[in-house]
Amino acid sequence: MILTALADGAQHGYGIITDVRDISGGQVRLRAGTLYMALDRLRADELITVDREEIVDGRLRRYYRLTPAGTKLLADEAARLQAHASVALRRLNLAGGMAT
Amino acid sequence: MTDQAGLERAYRRLLAWYPREFRRENEQEILAVLMADAPDGQRRPGLAQSADLIRSGLWMRLRPSVPRSARTVRAAVRLMYAGAAVSTVNLILLLALIADIEIYHAIPGHHLTAAQVSQVSTLFITICTLWDLVPIAVWLWMAQTCGRGRNWARIVSTVLFGAATLNLTSAFNWLPPGNHLTLVPMFYGPTLPVLYWLAGLAVVWLLWRPASSAFFRPPGYTQAQHQAQTAEFDHQAQMAELARLRARLPRQV
Repeated sequence: MILTALADGAQHGYGIITDVRDISGGQVRLRAGTLYMALDRLRADELITVDREEIVDGRLRRYYRLTPAGTKLLADEAARLQAHASVALRRLNLAGGMAT
Repeated sequence: MTDQAGLERAYRRLLAWYPREFRRENEQEILAVLMADAPDGQRRPGLAQSADLIRSGLWMRLRPSVPRSARTVRAAVRLMYAGAAVSTVNLILLLALIADIEIYHAIPGHHLTAAQVSQVSTLFITICTLWDLVPIAVWLWMAQTCGRGRNWARIVSTVLFGAATLNLTSAFNWLPPGNHLTLVPMFYGPTLPVLYWLAGLAVVWLLWRPASSAFFRPPGYTQAQHQAQTAEFDHQAQMAELARLRARLPRQV
């Protein structure tokens, strides 16, 4: 979900939290501790990187973006989920057709 | 003190659970997120938020961040954590089994009273527990320090492996059959200590691979130099990924 939040472009920490909330329709509420643990792991795995830093209202705001490896992983995962969803929908339609 | 200032101080106290290096780099940023995420009028951190920060802080202390490109070091660090896990299981099994061990059988030629057996048992359990805590602590310490690129940790790991080898061979040489009083995990035959030793051998081999040597810093390296080196690792990995993607393009067209 964090990678998905960054698919549109670079985002800062709070932006990722609100974006993940929107993407999940309010189902997933990331907390700061969990977010920064995940960001640290994603950075270590070279899936995301720091894009830029800004100071807003006297506070540090760091923007993250996907690396080529992160983009590829997200694309692969999205394609895999899409393939699963397609199979599930096709089979459900078939089952519906047989029942009627 | 305003609500905001009090809340910020409380969050700073919670962030003390994180490792110092991580805090130095990220504390201001996390504080900004925490303050932005706090509802108006909140005076102290909520229970769930506090638990999340403590859990994450502890996890960050235990987990070194080795770049994916330093594959051999990552594998060595994972093996060290596996060693710590095996040592922990060994300690639990030891404590579970120890009650069944008749200590006086371990001391040939001595006939002890029930009170003496009880006394010796308590001493034995204490020594065994402390002794088994040593490898757990050593595995975790080495995993942490090697994962942070400390060259001295690689040398200490190798020295400790040498000591473990001597300890293992001594245990095999000195132990008469049926004697269970030993400080290496011999309760289940020689398999476990040999596997343990092989894991140590693999760790040492991985730590001294040429690919690992590029990750370890010589003495006198500064934090800034380490960050620059890690960035270089990131850059190399990204370039390798790009080259791999480019190499795949003609086949796809």
